[in-house]
Formats: sequence, C-alpha cells, structure tokens
Amino acid sequence: MDFLIKLLPSKPIYAHCDIPCGIYDPHEAQMAAHTVIRMVNLINELKPSSEEPPFDERKKIISQISRLTKVKEEHAHRVEHEIVTLWADYFKEEHLKNNPNLHELVWKSLKLTGKVRQEVNLEAAQELLKNVQEIAEIFWKTKGKEPVRIPSGYPTEGEIVSHS
Amino acid sequence: MLPTLKPGQDVLVWCWFYTPKVGDIVAIKVTSKEMIKRVRKVFDREVIVQGDNERESTDSRKFGPVKRYQIIGKVVWSG
Repeated sequence: MDFLIKLLPSKPIYAHCDIPCGIYDPHEAQMAAHTVIRMVNLINELKPSSEEPPFDERKKIISQISRLTKVKEEHAHRVEHEIVTLWADYFKEEHLKNNPNLHELVWKSLKLTGKVRQEVNLEAAQELLKNVQEIAEIFWKTKGKEPVRIPSGYPTEGEIVSHS
Repeated sequence: MLPTLKPGQDVLVWCWFYTPKVGDIVAIKVTSKEMIKRVRKVFDREVIVQGDNERESTDSRKFGPVKRYQIIGKVVWSG
C-alpha cells in the first residue's frame, strides 16, 4: 500500500500558514521601547552654550536632534510592528479569556507608540515600556514559562522581561 | 498538525464527492497556500477548521471560517 501511494503524484502541503510559525518573542518590542526612552533622554540632554548660540552650534544641535528623532520614530514603529504581530498572529481567544486586560494593554500600547513619535515625552516613553513589559509577561505565561524581570544593562537602566 | 501528523509525513487526499464532517482532517486552500486542518464546525457554506497543535496552529481562529469551495478534500490515509 505504502509503495503504491508513493507512486501517486504528490506535492507539499503545510500544517501552518506562516513560516516560521510559532516563533514569537516580545524581546524586540522591549528593546525598541528602551531605545525610544534613550532617544528622549538624549534629546533632553542637548543644551546650547548660550541663549543665542552661534550658527555652527545650532547646525550641530539641529543635526543631532534630527538623527535622534529619526531613531526614535523608527523604534516606536518597531514597537508597534512587534505588538501588532503578537496580537494578530500569536495571541488567541483563550489567551484573552485568561488575561482580560490584554486587549486594553495592546490598544493603549499602540496609541502610545504614536504619542512617543509626536512628542518628546519621557513619561509616555516610560509608560510604553511598562505596557510592553506587561504584554511580555502575559506572553511568557501563555507559553507556560515563568516570566522574570532582569536588569536590562542598557543606558536606560530599567528591566527586560524574560523567562526562567 | 502535531501530534496527529508529523512534518514530512505523506497524506492521501480524496478530492471528489466530499461533504465535510466534524472531526475530519481536510486539505484546504487559504490565500493560495494548501494546508491540513481538522474540521471543528460545519455550516451551510463554511467550515471552521483548527489545527491539532492548538497552541501553535494558525487556523480559523486567525483566518476565520473557510468556504466549502476552499476545501480540497479529505485526508483518507497517512503514512
């Protein structure tokens, strides 16, 4: 029987529609959220030497702010993309049943990714990281892993949610 | 479709005169990709499918119900 079936024309068929399905990690969203905080801090640290700095100094400051803002924009987008991926592809109905606050957490985080782009707002950036960390904790619980908060080791200090 | 079907396993699909029944393993075509899923619920024109590997599967919970014409056939044999 096996031999006869092997003679039939065949083609591959999949058990999953995404490749690589099942590989999700909230780590990148957290790294990106830390980066947003870092960019806000660096922008806030920029100080002119006087009320009316010379043109060359202005140029440098404007250039530096442009670069920091660009990275802030990109990483806020990255947080958004990562959360949307987890939301659309990973989290399922049963996860939502066990974590009824997940929907609001995701929704608030996505709104915050807009706010941190529009403004130079440390409070919003920190709030974004806090929400992303909570999403990460829920994520690892749904995987049957115990979430743990470890020091990030980044210049922003703070923590990263991983699992034991 | 773990644990029922493993990667690389051969399946034989019966493609004619098939009426889906709950519990059947079927081959379906969703967004041009052919996939294997289990029938969970049957409606007039649509069926709800789900993978046996519930935790990892991408199925009707993500892409919604599947139209009957998207069902290629029933898995009648697996090697």
